[in-house]
Amino acid sequence: MISCKSISKSYRKGANTVTPLENLNLEVPRGEFLALMGPSGSGKTTLLNLISGIDTPSSGTLVIDGQNIADFSRKQLTKWRSQKVGYIFQLYHLIPVLTAFENVELPLLITSLSRAERRAKVEEALDLVGLMDRSHHTPAELSGGQEQRVAIARALVADPPLLVADEPTGDLDRESANGILALLQSFARENGKTIVMVTHDARAAAAAHRTLHLEKGVLLSEDPNLTSL
Amino acid sequence: MLPLTYALRNLFRDKPRLAQTVGGSALVVLLVIAATALNGGMKQVLSASGSEKNIILLGAGSEESIQRSEVSPLLGGIAEAGVRGVSKTLGRPAASVEIHYMTYLTDKEGRKGQGLFRGVTPRALLVHPEVRLLEGAFPRSGEVMVGRLAWRKLGIPEASLKPGASVTIDRSPMIVSGVFAAPGTVMESEVWAALGDLHMLAQRQTVSCVVLRMDDAANFPDADLFAQQRLDLELTALRESDYYAALSSFFKPLRVMTWITAGLIAAGAVFGGFNTLYAAFASRIRELATLQAIGYGRGAIFLSLVQESLIACLAGTLVASAVALFLLDGRTIPFSIGAFTVSVTPQVALAGLVTGILLGILGAVPPAIRCLRPPLPKALRS
Repeated sequence: MISCKSISKSYRKGANTVTPLENLNLEVPRGEFLALMGPSGSGKTTLLNLISGIDTPSSGTLVIDGQNIADFSRKQLTKWRSQKVGYIFQLYHLIPVLTAFENVELPLLITSLSRAERRAKVEEALDLVGLMDRSHHTPAELSGGQEQRVAIARALVADPPLLVADEPTGDLDRESANGILALLQSFARENGKTIVMVTHDARAAAAAHRTLHLEKGVLLSEDPNLTSL
Repeated sequence: MLPLTYALRNLFRDKPRLAQTVGGSALVVLLVIAATALNGGMKQVLSASGSEKNIILLGAGSEESIQRSEVSPLLGGIAEAGVRGVSKTLGRPAASVEIHYMTYLTDKEGRKGQGLFRGVTPRALLVHPEVRLLEGAFPRSGEVMVGRLAWRKLGIPEASLKPGASVTIDRSPMIVSGVFAAPGTVMESEVWAALGDLHMLAQRQTVSCVVLRMDDAANFPDADLFAQQRLDLELTALRESDYYAALSSFFKPLRVMTWITAGLIAAGAVFGGFNTLYAAFASRIRELATLQAIGYGRGAIFLSLVQESLIACLAGTLVASAVALFLLDGRTIPFSIGAFTVSVTPQVALAGLVTGILLGILGAVPPAIRCLRPPLPKALRS
């Protein structure tokens, strides 16, 4: 599913060149739930941004689902993201003026689906995260855990093969966090989604099939954790 | 495309900011509507005041002002006999001997206003067919007939100039004999009196001009030839339309100044709009980045932001149009040679609409581009 070969990312910051990722190699098979851990500034969010097509590598090849997205233009990446990636943010990033239903519907508005088809898919996604009864509430009327569930429904609704999550439980209490992690596990297990999750929390990482540690842009170790499944 | 509800609901996120955008755009659009209506009204009244068929014979060297012109009172008879192609009604040539005189009129209550007085004979109605008596009668000696907008030019209540009202012109008491209309022309703000009375009031033996109405506008060369051949009379022949066109160009700098003022204020409003909308968009940079992460192109988000600004500015345009209809439409505005009526015509409303659209687009484009420019990873963390 994901194949990173010798990818590096560097950018200029003032007079200096910063290289958050250097010569990184990574293979993630379809249906795997991968956790990326590491201290702040280790490059894990940069890697997540590259895998999700939000950023492009400075060098190397990044093949996802058979396509080398490192060569994509900004426009191609935008279209690719809409079809292949569901993004889950730490602070949910819901649109405050839209209801839960409308937030979840957003990725479908750029597809050719009819209104009725969109409605059915949104209801299915909200049902999956257990929030059908809150579909007409705005984010301000939801708890943090509920907001993150809406964000997950939004990431899932267009049925992308890849889900990326940046600290999805970082702003939640333990109970809500466990609920979110259980959902992610079930998506990998039952729906065959490939999930890449960045986290600082070892307990959250324990929910993944595999945990990788990054430090200063280099992959240090692997921590197979398939037993958590 | 992002749904329209997204743009609409975003507008109400910050109500004071929305009020500022709507109010600001309403003021600018109102100003443009007012400037367009005022300039249009003035231009319209001056262009409608001169007929191509009418030729003014006036003293040589007085082309810019009929009031300063002096010609013999006998010129009327000489011209109607000497110029070919003068129109005739029931055998009477359409030649009007006139005195144009600027003076003061005082009403019964002592209110005083300056206006243009025209000394005429009943023949004036043959050369100015647009003049229609609305009330009363044509003035005889000791009487005046007022245009229906004269009260506005004189700054006197309309009721003081009703038929039968007593007025004083200079020191001569007179009675208002009637009220006339001459739609869309400066004559509507004039006061007409009997030619003999104006001789006395203006203390002159001469007249200002003779106006001839020709059968055909193409007959002007005949009148011009007459004026050039009669060197003894020291005449100039002018098309009435050319005379008012020259007057119109005299007021052009005033109209240009109105446009410049409106343009500068509109430009100031656009810069104000940049700040307001930049603040509105900048507070949502992360949200805009989220939409991009979901798969919306920058173009779609840009359109939504412009849509948001357009809706606010069009709401302002609607407010401005309503205010203009209530406060401006039908108002009469006095100026040096008369008065004109301000009309919020479809063209004026269109000028307001175009201004509202331009404000909405121009005000939103730079802030939207600026807020969509940051790299996506950076914007998502903002």
